[in-house]
Amino acid sequence: MKWIKKDLQQYINAKEYVDTIIMPLSPYHLSKDNDLGKNAFQREVLSVFTKEIETELTGRVMLIPTYHYLKNTNKQDEISRINEWVHDAETQPFQQTFFITFDSSWKKYENELEGTLLWFPSMHSGDFQSKEMHSFIRDQVSEVVDLIRSYW
Amino acid sequence: MSEKKQQVSRRQFLNYTLTGVGGFMAAGMLAPMLRMAVDPVLKPSAAGDFVNVGLAVEDITTEPQRVDWLVEQVDGWYESEVSRSAWVFKDENDNIKALSPICKHLGCVVSWEGSEDYPNEFFCPCHDGRYYKDGTNVPNTPPLEPLDEYEQKVENGMLFLGMAKPRGEA
Ligand code: FES
Repeated sequence: MKWIKKDLQQYINAKEYVDTIIMPLSPYHLSKDNDLGKNAFQREVLSVFTKEIETELTGRVMLIPTYHYLKNTNKQDEISRINEWVHDAETQPFQQTFFITFDSSWKKYENELEGTLLWFPSMHSGDFQSKEMHSFIRDQVSEVVDLIRSYW
Repeated sequence: MSEKKQQVSRRQFLNYTLTGVGGFMAAGMLAPMLRMAVDPVLKPSAAGDFVNVGLAVEDITTEPQRVDWLVEQVDGWYESEVSRSAWVFKDENDNIKALSPICKHLGCVVSWEGSEDYPNEFFCPCHDGRYYKDGTNVPNTPPLEPLDEYEQKVENGMLFLGMAKPRGEA
């Protein structure tokens, strides 16, 4: 399910079946010309990627809005805000939280996040409409789906 | 005499009004039709059209295989390409079946033999929903209805799929 009105109406009537949060983590900035294209591209891929995961498992996961942060910001501050998001979700009965990101800098702080961090290396550029991109994303999605299932 | 005169004039009045309204309605109906005839690009969403899913009929076996394709969808503000999938196989009477993989419980994507514990069935990973090969839901698992079935047709040996409909309507 996604955080849209139509899905939430369904969610409210089926809460006991939806126990897993997916929170995409995506850096944002406008300050370094060299990285702009790459970071924006990764954000696009992340959005397609997480939507596809949601489609496969829609009846049991809730894809919440992406958490954005400045690329070079103090991670401690962000961690406490992210955990706040998690606590808010936990006022509903959610059992699991997965953070999905292409930003490797989270790896170091994995233990402080109240959930499971799934970090994937991503491409820096490419053609969204290409066959390769489609099958790349599709393969990745089915791997991640299996991984999430193994936690259920 | 004066009564008759009055009647005529009332009928005339009605005639005029009705022609007016009718003409207006006709114009309203014709305009979009004309526009479509003139410019086929303006045709609305292709979501209901049959799409060649890239599978030759001779390659369809009794073992369900998954096909994926894209359709244009116009949904209010958004115009997007959405992916569709189907499980395609031949049943015991050699008829082609194309089942939607969308679980009728809460919409997860089911897989053929998705669980080792339940061979020969479709399996939903979310809450262990199960369906027999023909799409019928297995009793006492969460789904309460059979899987939807795609409208289908065959042209030049290729499979075309349309909309997924609840069992019995396809
Ligand atoms: S969504 Fe398939 S069993 Fe619940």
